[in-house]
Amino acid sequence: MIFQDWLKDESKIILFDGGMGTEIFKRGIKPGKLPDLINLDSPETIADIHRAYYTAGADICQTNTFGASLLNLRNYKVDNKIQEINENALRIIKSVCPPNKLTVGDIGPSGVFKPPVGKATFEDWKSGYKEQAKYLELGVDLWHIETISDIDEMLAAIKAIQEVSKKPIISSMTYKKTKRGYYTIMGHSLEKCVNVLEDAKVSVIGANCTLGSEEMIDLAKEMVKLTDLPFSVKPNAGKPRLDENQIVHYDQPIADFIKHIKEMISWGAKIVGGCCGTSPETIKEIRRLLTSLKR
Amino acid sequence: MESLEDFYNQIALAIVELNEDRARELAIRSINEGLDLLKVIERGFGEGIRRIGNLWEDGDIFLPELMLGGNIMQECMGLLLPHLKSKNKGYSPGSIVIATIEGDIHSIGKTIVATLLNANGFEVYDLGADVPADKIIDVAIEKEADIIGISALLTTTMIGQKKVISLLKKQGIRNKFKVILGGAPVTEAWTKECEADGYAENAIDSIKLVKKLLSK
Repeated sequence: MIFQDWLKDESKIILFDGGMGTEIFKRGIKPGKLPDLINLDSPETIADIHRAYYTAGADICQTNTFGASLLNLRNYKVDNKIQEINENALRIIKSVCPPNKLTVGDIGPSGVFKPPVGKATFEDWKSGYKEQAKYLELGVDLWHIETISDIDEMLAAIKAIQEVSKKPIISSMTYKKTKRGYYTIMGHSLEKCVNVLEDAKVSVIGANCTLGSEEMIDLAKEMVKLTDLPFSVKPNAGKPRLDENQIVHYDQPIADFIKHIKEMISWGAKIVGGCCGTSPETIKEIRRLLTSLKR
Repeated sequence: MESLEDFYNQIALAIVELNEDRARELAIRSINEGLDLLKVIERGFGEGIRRIGNLWEDGDIFLPELMLGGNIMQECMGLLLPHLKSKNKGYSPGSIVIATIEGDIHSIGKTIVATLLNANGFEVYDLGADVPADKIIDVAIEKEADIIGISALLTTTMIGQKKVISLLKKQGIRNKFKVILGGAPVTEAWTKECEADGYAENAIDSIKLVKKLLSK
């Protein structure tokens, strides 16, 4: 399988895609609804975004299914659409994925928490994720579980996928930087997460969102000490700013993002991409960097 | 008996240490010993939850501890408030209907504000998250609230805050309520644009804001 070959090839840095939400709004879709529903209402918009990322040089792009797990769809009262949302998302990405590039099944947070924050149980999480994974399994090449802040929720998603799929999993928690190091908002340290994820037999350990590219450099340095598994970074394009019209902007120059990505590669990052605020333009510049590094 | 200062401090510590049994025990002692419960709430429990808030902001504690602290606080308020009300008949410095707006399921910040307002003696009606604008208004009318507090954590849902105010104007009852906004994306400019009466950056400031608006 091509992804496993890439992981083994020491000279290969795998290029992931960038942000989805901001790209959707750029194409004239008004904010205010669950982006996953756009797979149904305007599939061409999503196809256009995937196409832009593949053309920019991404090796792997992920389905527009970040919020399409059963529990999250239930939060928005559209859980009855789980099958069509996920099936459409898969059809859309498959229709634009070029040969020798891969599609990734994207799994995001369920939006519900375990006590004392919420009432979710491990079983709730697992069955909710399994329901989503069984539709995506029919076509994706690998998985990315991302932006998770509770390591137990991550474990539930991993187990759910492993019950329906044998494909590789990239497992990205989202961390914030504290005085004592990198922790998730639920209080799980980077070290604890890495240990749990190694035991859970994921293929790649990652971090995404919350942190800007600069803040993620130190995380990359720590990550390489903590695990022998390949690791993935998908940082935000710096810190968001709201203008007077309440539109979110990421002002960080792309050149800075690229500089930080380069540094993370030097620390051993195997998969690089972007999260909020990054665009096909960002990915194109990372591709340019990767080409220059090969020379 | 220890000094009152010590006693308040013990309460604050019990909250910070998330020691539910100890916090309950101290709440009951406050009632039995006939202490000024408003001061107990303000300088004991309120101080505890403020410290928890600071620890959270400094990254020293995480979401589970924050929520647990809030839960313990709320439980102790449940013990104290009936006594406060029976002692000061009809006592309440004001009433507030609070909710996270439709389409937005983020309730943590809003719940903290509601808890703190409650702790400060206000009559609080917390409608939860994902609440339609007209429902918020209906409850505010029914409860004859002084203040409506609307939380939005998403740039995509904050438009609902404006909707509440537009609806109030449409119904000709805008001047019956002070409307305040909260949530990470809310700014002073947005508050002005909505023609709201104020906004707060954090839970502590929201208490000051409410007190200020009601003293006008």
